Amino acid sequence: MVMLLAGCAGMVTQRMGATLSSAILNQDDPETVRAGAPAYLLLIDGLIADDPQDKNMLLAGARLYGAYAAVFVDDRERALRMAKKARDYARRGLCADYPQVCKVESAPYDQFVPSLHEVQVEGLDALYVYGSAWAGRIQADSSDWAAIADLPKVEAVMRRVVAMDPEYDNGRAQLYLAVLNTLVPPSVGGRPEVGRGFFEKAIAVSQGKDLMAKVEFARRYARMVFDRELHDRLLHEVVTTETRVPGLVLSNVLAKQEARKLLATSAEYFME
Amino acid sequence: MRLMTLRRILCGLALLLPLHATAATLKIATAAPDGTSWMEAFRKGADEIKQRTAGRVEFRFYPGGVMGNDKSVLRKIRIGQLHGGAITGGGLAEIYPDAQIYSLPFIFNSLAEVDYVRTRMDPLLMQGLETQGFVGFGISEGGFAYLMSNQPVEKLDDLKPLKVWVPEGDVISHTAFQSVGIHPVSLPLTDVLTGLQTGLIDTVAASAVGAIALQWHTRVKHLTDTPLIYIYGTLVVSAKAFNQLQPPDQAVVREVFGKVLAQLNLQSRKDEVRAREVLLQQGIGFVPLKQGDGWHDVVDETTRRLTEKQVFSAEMLGVLQKHLGDSRAGAAGR
Repeated sequence: MVMLLAGCAGMVTQRMGATLSSAILNQDDPETVRAGAPAYLLLIDGLIADDPQDKNMLLAGARLYGAYAAVFVDDRERALRMAKKARDYARRGLCADYPQVCKVESAPYDQFVPSLHEVQVEGLDALYVYGSAWAGRIQADSSDWAAIADLPKVEAVMRRVVAMDPEYDNGRAQLYLAVLNTLVPPSVGGRPEVGRGFFEKAIAVSQGKDLMAKVEFARRYARMVFDRELHDRLLHEVVTTETRVPGLVLSNVLAKQEARKLLATSAEYFME
Repeated sequence: MRLMTLRRILCGLALLLPLHATAATLKIATAAPDGTSWMEAFRKGADEIKQRTAGRVEFRFYPGGVMGNDKSVLRKIRIGQLHGGAITGGGLAEIYPDAQIYSLPFIFNSLAEVDYVRTRMDPLLMQGLETQGFVGFGISEGGFAYLMSNQPVEKLDDLKPLKVWVPEGDVISHTAFQSVGIHPVSLPLTDVLTGLQTGLIDTVAASAVGAIALQWHTRVKHLTDTPLIYIYGTLVVSAKAFNQLQPPDQAVVREVFGKVLAQLNLQSRKDEVRAREVLLQQGIGFVPLKQGDGWHDVVDETTRRLTEKQVFSAEMLGVLQKHLGDSRAGAAGR
C-alpha cells in the first residue's frame, strides 16, 4: 500500500514537473516568463523541500533554475547563485540512481569518464540535465578557473548523452558539444571546425526548427572565423522562419530577438 | 584677386585639415578570443580613448586570431592593412630580437626576480621597439611555462625517453631541448591535445592557465615545479600610424593602454595563482626538480648557443644578467 502510494505520488510530481516546464517552454511572451517564473521556482523549491528525494521534481527544478538564470537574470551574482542551485538539484537527481558518477566527479578526468558508462538509457534525462546544469554553472562565472577546468568533464557527459541518443532534446546535446568546441579560436589552440560539425548536426536533428542552434552557430563559430556570409545567412533564416514547435516556442522567440541584435552589429563586427 | 587668394588658402587648409581633424581608426589584431578579460579590457580602453579624444581616435579590434598568427599580423601591419596587434614575446622578436629576452629558458627562478628585472628593463625593450618603428604600451605577463608530463620529471635524465612537444617555429624551445640532448616533436598548437590523446607526445610546456584553457590538464599527471620559460606579450601599434595622431591624443593612447596592460598583468598573475591551485585539486602532482638535476648546468650552454644564433644580442643579455645578479644579491642580503 505504501509502495503504491509512493508510486502514485511519483507519477503526480512527474507530470507536474513536466507541466510546469512545458507551460514555460511553450510561452511565446518572454516577459510573462521573466515575471512569472519566480513563482514556479518557489513552488518547486517547496515541493523539493517536502520530498528531497523526488527525482522528477529535482530535475524539473534544475531545468527551470538553470534556464531562468541563464536567460532572464542579468545580475551576475544572482545568476550564479541560481545556476549553483540548478546544479545541486541536477546532481541530486542523477546521483540518486547513479551515485558512482558523483563520487568521482571531482576526481581526475580519466577516472570520471568511465563512470558515465554506467548510466544507461533510463538515466538519459537525468544525465542530460546534470550536464546542462553543470555547463550553466560554468557559464555563470567563467572567470572561475576551477569551473573552467571542469569543461572537459561536461563535454564527456554530453558525448555520453549523444552516444545513447544523437537526437536527444531536438539536438540540444549536440548544440552543447558545438558550443563547447567553439570556445577557443585556432590562434590559441582551439579547433572550431569540430564545433562546426556539431552545429550542423544540431541543425539537422531539429530540421532547422531549433532557431537557437543557428543563432549560436552564427555567434560562436561564424564570428570566430570571421565568416560574415555564413553569419548573416544563418541569422536571416532565423528572423524569417515562422515556427511554433512545441517545446521550442519560448526559445525560438528569444532566438529571434538575439538574431536581430547580432544582425544589427554585423557590419560593425565584420567591417574590414 | 584677394578673394582668389583667400579661397586658395581655405582650400589649402581644407586639404591639411583631414590629417588632424577627422577621426583615425586604428585596426588592431589579437589572438585573444572575444569575451575574454583581455578583449574586455581592450574595448574598455578604446571607449575611454574615444571619449577623451572627442572621437578623434577610435579602435577596431580583430579578436580570436582572425588576422592570423603573430607573423602574418606583423606582415599586415607593414603593408598598412592593420595598424597594430597584441603580440607575444616570441612574435616581437621579428621586429626587435631583444624583445624576447625574457623568454630565455630557466633565466628566472621566481616572479620576484621577474618583477625586479622588468621594472628596470621594460622601458628599455619599449624603446627598442620604438627604434624599429613600433610603439609598445607595456608588457603583460602570461605566467611561467612548466613542464607537464605523464611521468614525473625530477631530473634531466627523466626527460630523455619522453616525447616532448615544442611549438612549431619556436627556436628558443627547440634549442633549449636540443642542447640537453632531447629531440622534441614540433607541432602546431591546435594539434597538441590530439597529440597528447594519441600518444604522439606525452610532455608539454605550458602555464597553468594555458593548460586548463586548452584542456591539456586532462592528459597529464605531473607538473615539474620549476619555471621553464616566462611568457608575456604586449600591444604594439606601428609608429607610422601612431604619429598621425595629434600629440595630446598620442599621450592619451599611451596613458590608457599603459594602464590596461598593467591591469592585465596583475590579473594574469592572479589567474595563474588560482589555476595552479586548480591543477593540484584536479589531481596533478607537483614535482620539484632535484638538486643536481643536470639541467641548470646546461642553461649557460643554451644561452651561449642562442646568442651565437643571434636570437638576441650579447649586450642585452649582459643587462639582464646584471639585474638578475643584483636581484639575487639583494635577496641573499635580506
